[in-house]
Amino acid sequence: MKKRGITRRDFLRAAAVSTLAGAFPFSVGSKESKVVSRKVRVILIRDKNVLDSSGHPNADVIQRMLDEAVTALLGEKDPVEAWKKLVKPADIVGIKSNVWGYLPTGKEVEQALKRRIQDAGVAPENIGIDDRGVKKNPIFKKSTALINARPIRTHHWSGVGSCIKNYITFVPWLPAYHGDSCANLATIWKDFNLKEKTKLNILLVLTPLFHGIGPHHFSKKYMWEYKGILVSQDPVAVDATGVRILQAQRREFFGEERPLKPPAKHIFLADTRHHLGVSHPDRIELVKLGWKEGILI
Amino acid sequence: MDNCSKKEGSFLSSFLPRDIQGWKAEEEDQSYDPQTIFDYIDGAGEVYRSYNFKELLVRHFRKKDNPEIIVDFFVMSSSKDAFGVFTHDLEGEEAGIGQGSTYQGGLLSFWKGPFFVSIYAEEETEETREVLFHLGKAVAFSIKEEGEKPDLLALLPAKYVNDKSIHYFHNHMILNYHFFVSDENILLLDQQTEAVLGAGYEKGEEFYVLVIRYPEGRKASQAYGNFTSTYMPDAVEPGLVQTEDMKWTAARIKEDLLIVIFNASSDTSAREMIEGVERKVEQK
Repeated sequence: MKKRGITRRDFLRAAAVSTLAGAFPFSVGSKESKVVSRKVRVILIRDKNVLDSSGHPNADVIQRMLDEAVTALLGEKDPVEAWKKLVKPADIVGIKSNVWGYLPTGKEVEQALKRRIQDAGVAPENIGIDDRGVKKNPIFKKSTALINARPIRTHHWSGVGSCIKNYITFVPWLPAYHGDSCANLATIWKDFNLKEKTKLNILLVLTPLFHGIGPHHFSKKYMWEYKGILVSQDPVAVDATGVRILQAQRREFFGEERPLKPPAKHIFLADTRHHLGVSHPDRIELVKLGWKEGILI
Repeated sequence: MDNCSKKEGSFLSSFLPRDIQGWKAEEEDQSYDPQTIFDYIDGAGEVYRSYNFKELLVRHFRKKDNPEIIVDFFVMSSSKDAFGVFTHDLEGEEAGIGQGSTYQGGLLSFWKGPFFVSIYAEEETEETREVLFHLGKAVAFSIKEEGEKPDLLALLPAKYVNDKSIHYFHNHMILNYHFFVSDENILLLDQQTEAVLGAGYEKGEEFYVLVIRYPEGRKASQAYGNFTSTYMPDAVEPGLVQTEDMKWTAARIKEDLLIVIFNASSDTSAREMIEGVERKVEQK
């Protein structure tokens, strides 16, 4: 029988039985039991001093935030011991960054990650940092471990630029994954053998972009200083949490419910269709550390 | 950029000034086509490809100690597509430039003839806003001929539909962007189809009118069959269903057109709206 797909009426049906489901329409059709087994942990850490007066990240504060987040995530007291759970000295590690000019990952985050990977015993010549050059980068070509790090922002075609989407530069022809507002981005993780290699996902919420305009999809007017970092081993969980923050900010800014346009369906389909990770808040253990003012979720 | 070609002195560049209120275009223009646009604006390129854009000319303007200004000059396949891509984002205040324009947050957009123009300041200030308007007027003036809007627009119920809510497009990805129907292409939209979507209010409730023209009547029938079997298998009568939110959806074919009303407040209202569109078709 031909797959019917999801229609608007499926959303309406879901909303009628659960207010939460209405907020996550692409959970419709999930075969997951309502009985929640072990939850996936996501760490949200914020520091009101992470940005200087010009909005630039403070490298020391970034290091401290990442250390605290990773230790909390993995239940360790020492960041190096935590990182030793993620990478081994023999690993060849790629730090998958994002160089989008208006909101890049940034050197402070990249170097903080590289430092701890080295501290965990990986030789510096076996650590690479790249984004658009990953297909040709020798480190990434022979990598045994990946650290995925990028800022969250709205995106013209996929709804949001997410940790899931960050791996699109591994594919030979990007438009192949653009169909239906990038609904099946999660397949990249399986198609290119990235799921098992990925040890950590870092979604930066320092100065997120919550609304985009025009071909460049950027206006400073629609950024704000949230000063946070989300960390998880589950890319879907970290992205779903990031989307909640964006949606909350949009509600706050516009004074009304303003769903993302297009919706970030690839995140929820990564759960319900592709089983890459977990998107429903009931299945996420969200640990909030640090500064609480304006946390929104 | 590796995949852009330099088009200094080309016909297109003649539409754009090189100097405006102290901002100068000192570097060479960049040019992109439907294959290379992703190198410039990543996934956003799909929007312009869905409207059959042919070429994009990019010119950067700089003035010392001021934000950069970027002109993106899109050559579309037709004035209908220029209008259509303009309707993709109608947020902002009317700017009074070209045949339709908006301004918001440091971005001026307008269409005229077969061209869609986006003028963007990397930071919005009073000065950049003024320059954007001057630049926009200069570019619009250089485009001598106006173009026609899609004739499908005339079929929308003008009494109810808000101008700011009207979108013209071809494929289901753009439809879903404005009003999600299905992740599958159940209306059989493609680059050969033309569609208009408008929103309006009736008794305080928002409804949507979708009119799609297919290349031939047979395709319209096929789409109708596919849509009704997928979307309204529980129809109370052919092409009419009450949805889970107690609103009504109706669908009907008329010649090579498929007309769909979403979110009507009653079955009577849904039928009346469809019949209104059918009468307009007959009058043409």
